[in-house]
Amino acid sequence: MIISKKVEFSASHICRSPQLSDEENQRVYGPAANPQSHGHNYVVEVAIEGTPDPVTGMILDLKHLKDILEEKILSVYDHRLLNAEVDSFASLVPTVENMAIDMWKRIEAHIDATGRARLHSVRVHETNDLFVEYRGEA
Amino acid sequence: MTVHLSRRYGFFASHRLHEPSLTDAENRALYGKCNNPFGHGHNYEVEVTAKAQVDPVTGRSVDLRVLDQLCETVLLAPYRYKNLNLEMRDNPTTENLALLFDILLRRAWGPAFAGQSAKLERIRIWETERNICDIETKDEA
Repeated sequence: MIISKKVEFSASHICRSPQLSDEENQRVYGPAANPQSHGHNYVVEVAIEGTPDPVTGMILDLKHLKDILEEKILSVYDHRLLNAEVDSFASLVPTVENMAIDMWKRIEAHIDATGRARLHSVRVHETNDLFVEYRGEA
Repeated sequence: MTVHLSRRYGFFASHRLHEPSLTDAENRALYGKCNNPFGHGHNYEVEVTAKAQVDPVTGRSVDLRVLDQLCETVLLAPYRYKNLNLEMRDNPTTENLALLFDILLRRAWGPAFAGQSAKLERIRIWETERNICDIETKDEA
């Protein structure tokens, strides 16, 4: 059984690769390549997979999941310029794809450590009409 | 017959709340995480409401092509994918953004809707789903 929790944060980013020329960055990322940055209200849905405990009826205490998401994702991402303030993006473009992968890496071990569930997917919505989902590499 | 028609648009931008006349400590206390020196960003939404007469033949009121083009030119294109601190003189709070949009839209409204009944009534800006600022506007300016 899969249960999902949703959290939100606001951040800015610059979609620009140092490995590409100015013209290539403009072609690949369009206006999102603006070196002065722009930003979004992101919505993250984290889904975990497990079996409900026969006594509590819960896969995992969702307060525990919320604490993990706040400590490992929100405290890192919220109200930040991702390129400058999140170490993962020192040499990686903070596209919504790379953000989903980074969030997975930040929380997977902590979900496992609960002994109750495993991480199923991380879905990141950048806008109302765009989101990506990462389900790990297994 | 008079109706009030609203249309919603969106753009993505970054900003930092910082008032230069206050100290760094005061700014941090006042704006909290919104004062982060690197800035952060939002999916802004802008809703423009106009009052207009319903045309008895067409059943239409505000000319949406005119409204769309006006809002795109005056409100959206100048700020889309931009850092608002570099695009406006005042501290880019939602309130100041609403005041600026009110001035910009009122200034351009008359020429755009010349000969039509549409009157600008209100601009509403969503910074997030929970932070919303309204400005009731007077279109005779």
